[in-house]
Amino acid sequence: MVDPPARNILNNNTPRMMKLHRNLLPVLVAGSLAQQGLAFCGFYVAKADATLFNDRSEIILVRDGQRTTITMSNDFKGDVRDFAMVVPVPTVLREQDIRVVDRSLFDQLDAYSAPRLVEYYDANPCQRWDYAVMDELDRAPMAGAAMKEVREEQSARSRGVTIEARYSIGEYDILILSAKESEGLKDWLIENGYRIPATANEVLDPYIKDHLKFFVVKVDLERMQDMGFEFLRPIQVSFESDRFMLPIRLGMANSKGEQDMIVYAFTRTGRVECANYRTVDLPTDRHIPLYVKDRFGEFYRDLFKRHYEREGRHIVTLEYAWNVTPSWNGVKCDPCVGPPPLTAQLTQAGVDWVGPNGGANGNVFFTRLHVRYARADFPQDLLFQVTPDQQQFQGRYILTHPAQGDLSCSAGQDYLEDLYYRRKKEVDELATLTGWNTWDDRRYIDEVKGRMTPERRNGLDAPVIPFRRPGGGQGPGSMLWLIGLAALVFGAAVHIAARSRALPG
Amino acid sequence: MPDMLRHLVPFIRRDARHAQVLLLATLLGYGLLVMHWSAELPRYAVLLGTCLAMQTVAVVVLRMPWSSLKSALITGLGLSLLLHVGSLLTAALAAVIAIGGKCVLRDRGKHIFNPGNLGIVLAILLTGDAWISPGQWGSGALLLVLFGSLATMLLLRVGRVDVALGFLGTFAMLQYTRTVLYLGWGMDVLVHQLMNGSLLLFTFFMITDPKTTPNAPRARLAWSMLVALVAFLLTEKVRIQAAPIWALFLVSASTPLFDRMWKAARFEWSIPLHGTSSTTTPLA
Repeated sequence: MVDPPARNILNNNTPRMMKLHRNLLPVLVAGSLAQQGLAFCGFYVAKADATLFNDRSEIILVRDGQRTTITMSNDFKGDVRDFAMVVPVPTVLREQDIRVVDRSLFDQLDAYSAPRLVEYYDANPCQRWDYAVMDELDRAPMAGAAMKEVREEQSARSRGVTIEARYSIGEYDILILSAKESEGLKDWLIENGYRIPATANEVLDPYIKDHLKFFVVKVDLERMQDMGFEFLRPIQVSFESDRFMLPIRLGMANSKGEQDMIVYAFTRTGRVECANYRTVDLPTDRHIPLYVKDRFGEFYRDLFKRHYEREGRHIVTLEYAWNVTPSWNGVKCDPCVGPPPLTAQLTQAGVDWVGPNGGANGNVFFTRLHVRYARADFPQDLLFQVTPDQQQFQGRYILTHPAQGDLSCSAGQDYLEDLYYRRKKEVDELATLTGWNTWDDRRYIDEVKGRMTPERRNGLDAPVIPFRRPGGGQGPGSMLWLIGLAALVFGAAVHIAARSRALPG
Repeated sequence: MPDMLRHLVPFIRRDARHAQVLLLATLLGYGLLVMHWSAELPRYAVLLGTCLAMQTVAVVVLRMPWSSLKSALITGLGLSLLLHVGSLLTAALAAVIAIGGKCVLRDRGKHIFNPGNLGIVLAILLTGDAWISPGQWGSGALLLVLFGSLATMLLLRVGRVDVALGFLGTFAMLQYTRTVLYLGWGMDVLVHQLMNGSLLLFTFFMITDPKTTPNAPRARLAWSMLVALVAFLLTEKVRIQAAPIWALFLVSASTPLFDRMWKAARFEWSIPLHGTSSTTTPLA
């Protein structure tokens, strides 16, 4: 567990303080922090990081006026020699517009913003205080990739492809291409060892006609070995353009399946949201049963899947939004899963308005979006817009440990009764969020009864555990049908009624 | 049920705004219940409250009819469905501009800008604290069913179908030409662009405002096509999100010219139940 910078924690003006239960005592960090009596809400014990999702890529987007910086990292798992990447870009990039950055940048941003599990410990109402410990989870690094070499310019000309620029940056050989027609570009790419799917034309063609250039990357294996890197490092490009979008269609040309993309976005003003798909908040601040702690990864994967299906699949999910301006004194996470990005990391990500000592010339607002996309649901590339929305958001799931010790006093019995019903709610919540069958979770609820006096126990309502099918649920889609249908019926009724009035008699 | 309809039908027929309020409120309810916009309740309250308060002032000071409160309610609902704000003060400002603009910016007794449109555009320009989320409704053929069916009966009632069809038809043709014919994207991309909930909301509930569209049918058609052309250029050339809102604002300034070139009777909201029909309200 990495302690967040002290100034963040010490600030009591937590923008999104959690409402504490009557008997709830937040976990206190051992040592100095505990003595401060902080308004530190809950403790992070696990995170649902991006490594949970298989076919995934991660992107850092920085948008400042017309300037965009995109850093791309993808989980290429094959032989590095086979690695090749083709990205449509709006302009011919100059050498200084392209950089290779450290993979750890992504890991840090992921760790900082991943949905989190927090733990609270109930105080014993019959005694005074109680203490707690904390846990930590580890994270897995990423896989790498490789490449071949670039070939002739003559063949390019004959195919209507122009090599606008050619750079060697880090372990990468980079070409900027423009093309007259998709067939020639596709042939040239295949000829030069880029694995382009046969169906790529239908996507390449619109990009060519829309005057986009192609940023084409391969790995120089020798240079990579010389540099001693085992994995492919992320590539960063910057350009000026009025377009603020991510071309996802090319990546879907050869894939019918679902892919996950995590976008870490930075702006001066506020949240980034999708302009042509619905941006939906992740279900957050939910109380879930204690036993989820060991299965948090699985829990989040199922939660995300259910959420995505319920909301109708054509969505972008907001997982995190926060002001991360280095010079800002507010709390930067609540609680922190990882440390907030430091000035050096922001600069590396392309946030160029942050001064060397953290003095930002304006704010730095961070947004984490999670897109699960498949060809059928996402016909159009993702368009984004920067908003002035500074509202903070995080994905957070809460565990509550019961009070320990003797609870035989009257307040203690009240507490147990309360706990019993709370646990019922937690189990219900778990079923709603994940679609898990929670029928067997009765024991978790019933164990509270063991600590109650017989009179109290008899006064309890029988627990009704909802049984839910995994997946499914009523989405906006089905509701739309209902409302649409109701409107049609209503409209018809009004017409018929109006007509009958008009008839004499 | 038939008994309820017997009361409801005359109520809706008496004034097209009754239906409009019902429909917009349904959409807002849909957003609250299905799309989870409940965190926005204070914003809706401020927008609606300020619109109604401003209109009340206008009624008292400018001696407008009390029934004009219905229009203010529609403006407030329209703002709630489209405008997002960072602070509630900005929401109040947008509402003040919307209703204030209606009372002040007038040409020969008719207000120039759609109040909701003016409120949205000026709030964004003046404060930098407001925005439109064109993606908030999502996109899908179902939305067309919803908005289309809800709105058609309303439009038939106030006779502004020409504006909606003129705008949407022209915009769709332009997008089809560029996206499908020129760029070569598949039809699904075009459908996705056109089934955008915000675009449909705009088409059926904002541009069709009978008070701020030109009076003559021909003028209206030309005018709505001009809005579509400007919206298309803003989308594709300037790459502005929610371009139709900006296009309507720009073109509205020229509405008085359209009214001077093509003359016709002005639209009035309330129609006597058994009155004679007028050119602008075919179903009345």
